[in-house]
Amino acid sequence: MKLSARYEQTSCRLVLEGFPDLSAGQGDQALGILTGWSLALAGRPELEGRREHLVALLQVVLPYARHLLSGAPRPFGTAETPVVIAPQGTGHELLVRSSLPDTPPLSLQLDDAELADLVRCLDQLRLDDRVRVPLELPTPQPLKRSELRHRQPLRRRLAAPATGLAALALGSFLALLLPTPKPTTAPPAATPATPARPVTAG
Amino acid sequence: MSEALAPAAPPSQQAHPSGGERSSPLSRRGIERLDLMLLCAEALDYNGGEAMVWISQSLGFTELFPNRVELWKRRCHNPLRRATRRGQLQEVETDALIRILNALAERLYPMLRQLLSSAEPPELSAQRWQLFRRRLDDLVQERFNLRRGGVQRLLDEKEGPELCRHLIQALALSAGPGGFDRLKASLMDPVS
Repeated sequence: MKLSARYEQTSCRLVLEGFPDLSAGQGDQALGILTGWSLALAGRPELEGRREHLVALLQVVLPYARHLLSGAPRPFGTAETPVVIAPQGTGHELLVRSSLPDTPPLSLQLDDAELADLVRCLDQLRLDDRVRVPLELPTPQPLKRSELRHRQPLRRRLAAPATGLAALALGSFLALLLPTPKPTTAPPAATPATPARPVTAG
Repeated sequence: MSEALAPAAPPSQQAHPSGGERSSPLSRRGIERLDLMLLCAEALDYNGGEAMVWISQSLGFTELFPNRVELWKRRCHNPLRRATRRGQLQEVETDALIRILNALAERLYPMLRQLLSSAEPPELSAQRWQLFRRRLDDLVQERFNLRRGGVQRLLDEKEGPELCRHLIQALALSAGPGGFDRLKASLMDPVS
């Protein structure tokens, strides 16, 4: 029996189709074998693909959203992956490469609202108990310090160490202005007091 | 089915972003951001304060936050507050606050979407942003320590609008079924 799962937001509709994997002991309402999926973004051509394309979409869009939430957006996907997402001006560019020969990649420009809609659809899919297709997605994790380095402008990042160095330099300079204490001269060696011989008049 | 949230387990039984391991509580910076996002939700909704209490009760956090004062006390661990509280929040408390924010963001999602969408008429969008900024500025001036650099940046004419947009974008990405894990991981980022 063919099953379908549908996830909709204002500008985005994701539909999965497949069959239950009865050999894996899944129920007849669980979608265990994905035969196809389609993603319709408002005003753009509909995307279709196989399981690996859906996994590639999930593997770039969800980590991208995770980085965006921390204010550290960066591109996800490479020249070899079927899907790439990257910041583009005030929006986001989703680049989809077809597995068909001689088909140029499709570039979709998304604004923040469309990206949020797409992320919500993918979240619904990821957390849908009925979908048992292995999607190999890691749970969101805190970013590394190095990944957050570009979150603040260079001037602000350097402000604290520069202030510290300036304070150290100023302190050293002021310390140099202080008069150096003169070396304390050792008291003259005490000569044994010779008892004055009384001058006696001849 | 598609519009509905995934079946929600009781908050105490829901999975942790790091796969069930107990993690450290949020840093002060994380609490600062969490409280600021809750403040944004209040700025977007006149009844935001009431909604927060109602959502807290409906999510089963009555023991943690029996009344609005207890909720407010936890939020006052934000170092940017005028009357900031010392000490560290427990993970169960920060998780509850994140779940409340997640539910608020879900409730406000249509409004967040309108603010972020480039398809909205520019004049209308500008008016919405202006209204949001005015209400957020009022709340910030009322509750936050205006001598703090972070607060001054938020109220700044040049930096403020961009920071506000980031906050609204973060709220939109924190809504929905996957929003809790994503937001919690983000709030646990190391201080850069």
